[in-house]
Amino acid sequence: MIEILSSAALATVQDLGRTGSLRWGVGTSGAMDNLALAAGNLLLGNALGAAAVEIPVFPFKLLFDEDCAFALTGADCAARLDDQPLLPWWVHQARAGQVLTLGLPQGGAQRGSRAVLCVAGGIDVPEVLGSRSTQLRGAFGGHEGRALRRGDLLRAAGAGSACRTGFGLVPPVLALPLERDGIAAVRVLPAAEYMAFEPASREAFWAGEWKITPQSDRYGYRLDGEALRPIAPMELRSHGIVPGVIQVPHSGQPIIQMRDAQPSGGYPKFGTVIEADMWRLGQAPIGSRVRFIETTWDEALDALDEVRAWLDKVARMVELHRGAPAARN
Amino acid sequence: MQDVSRLTAWLKGTDIGLLELRTPQGTLRLERRGDEIVELPEEEEVGPVPVKAPSLGVFLHGHPLATVPLVRIGARVEAGQTVGLLKIGPLLLPVAAPQAGIVDGVHVADGAAVGYGTPLLELHPL
Amino acid sequence: MTAAPSISPLGTTALLFEAPGDMNLPSQQRIWALAHEAETWPEVREAVPGMNNLMLTFTRAPRQLDALRARLCEAWSAATAMPREGRVVELPVVYGGEGGPHMADVMAHTGLGIDAIVELHSAPLYPVYALGSHPGYCYLGGMDPRIATPRRKVPVLSIPGGAVSIGGAQTGVSASAGPSGWNTIGSTSMVFFDPAQDPPAMLQPGDMIRFRVEGIVR
Repeated sequence: MIEILSSAALATVQDLGRTGSLRWGVGTSGAMDNLALAAGNLLLGNALGAAAVEIPVFPFKLLFDEDCAFALTGADCAARLDDQPLLPWWVHQARAGQVLTLGLPQGGAQRGSRAVLCVAGGIDVPEVLGSRSTQLRGAFGGHEGRALRRGDLLRAAGAGSACRTGFGLVPPVLALPLERDGIAAVRVLPAAEYMAFEPASREAFWAGEWKITPQSDRYGYRLDGEALRPIAPMELRSHGIVPGVIQVPHSGQPIIQMRDAQPSGGYPKFGTVIEADMWRLGQAPIGSRVRFIETTWDEALDALDEVRAWLDKVARMVELHRGAPAARN
Repeated sequence: MQDVSRLTAWLKGTDIGLLELRTPQGTLRLERRGDEIVELPEEEEVGPVPVKAPSLGVFLHGHPLATVPLVRIGARVEAGQTVGLLKIGPLLLPVAAPQAGIVDGVHVADGAAVGYGTPLLELHPL
Repeated sequence: MTAAPSISPLGTTALLFEAPGDMNLPSQQRIWALAHEAETWPEVREAVPGMNNLMLTFTRAPRQLDALRARLCEAWSAATAMPREGRVVELPVVYGGEGGPHMADVMAHTGLGIDAIVELHSAPLYPVYALGSHPGYCYLGGMDPRIATPRRKVPVLSIPGGAVSIGGAQTGVSASAGPSGWNTIGSTSMVFFDPAQDPPAMLQPGDMIRFRVEGIVR
């Protein structure tokens, strides 16, 4: 078992999300950095969408009470196994009794905000409506439908089994860079109400640097920047939305709907951050700035292909290495 | 031989743990063990130990996310310690010290392509 | 000649189809028929009705969006209002008091007394148009415009499951605790969602809700 030693950590069990239940008002949830979760699983030889622990608050500590291989991806947070410093984006072997400590996210411009802990075989919690992600509103899925607390015990489905460890990956923040004028950027596809905003507001959206305010979390990122003005006031009917949708309420300050957002809404939609770039947002720290890049349908699909190609390459290289005979030296 | 007993007697009166005397005739090593001074057998002079690339790839001095290299010249490393990284596509493999030693030199620049067996660093064995 | 429907992308994750014209039940019944048809298409993962609109999430976003748009418009033209044989579910509601903390605000806005508000709210049979917002939550049609009250300027951080509320011209019942910008006028104790059941939601589009007055706390 894995014992959580930190309290008030806001850490949750997530996988790649719960699909197919929007018809009942159940949103997708899932990892804010889905790329880190998938890559961590690949390093362990897990199924791509095996459940993991998403850690947004640091420092964070847990205890392995049995031997267990694990991978730490997402934000580099100067992790240690007992007193041994660990390389980030790496797969390691924990021995029974060892304590894993995550420190504060490191790194200046590449600093992330969420670490992902994958374990051999994935976190073993029951599947609910086809997913092991935590659905906070309604309290189901993940570990008892809530954030983890001190004393919680989690099971790694593959603990104790032999696993090749001691290697890692070049993180996607370096392998798939995207920035504008030195600021982290994400691509956005205009949405239904885009043209219903003032031209000056539309220009300001693409040209501006948007700050991620402290009122940002898994439900949504509230941005601070130039207020976006509609040409005329709009009253929309409630309609389905997805993570990435950028809503503009009366204040004019946009809110990016994130993984735990309501699956429906009624605010005007300026645009949608493309699926291929959501992991970048998932790593953007509170207080950081982000730029938006206007993109086309084709470019957005190309971006999705690029991410899939990176994952495929990782999968192939990792399997080659995991299958290779151990080095003699 | 007389020199050795004189040296031994003198050493006993100090708190020196190990005396190593290199002469053209060879190396004399006297080590304190408890109250006694013991002459250690003469060893073969061992040359620097190369750390070789475990495969083809790009040699990295440090993790791409880090600003500092994994080891510097003069650093003491343990057997198995990661002293560099080898990048193969998206994969990063550790370059491990084959034995304990002091980092004497780095032969390959950060980011240079290497082949299997290329000497990457050099260790002075301990 | 009605206006054309609006079709817009939600990133590369989904497509939003909005029916033109007034929002009403026959239009919603056509949306249900359209959802039923679209769910069979290979690029569609889920067809999710909203209030006279439909969101299609993709299994894999198609390169040729125009072909899908055209197919969607054709299917809409062909869609006939499919009245559903839904159940009528009665919810006992205690109006006002601790469970209805914003009843006074609705009274202030509408100029009506509590008895009038309760009568107007509990009289209709409310069709369930769609589920959304949170697990088990039903979007209802048919509220009397006389008790319409704008959404609150400052949303409440958490109202409990079972809260009966008015937001603008709509009414609804929360299925679980969560934030809300609506005006809560009463409470009911029905279980709307249980992930262990199949289907997990107690109500579905086509069902009807009637609010039965269990009590009024003045």
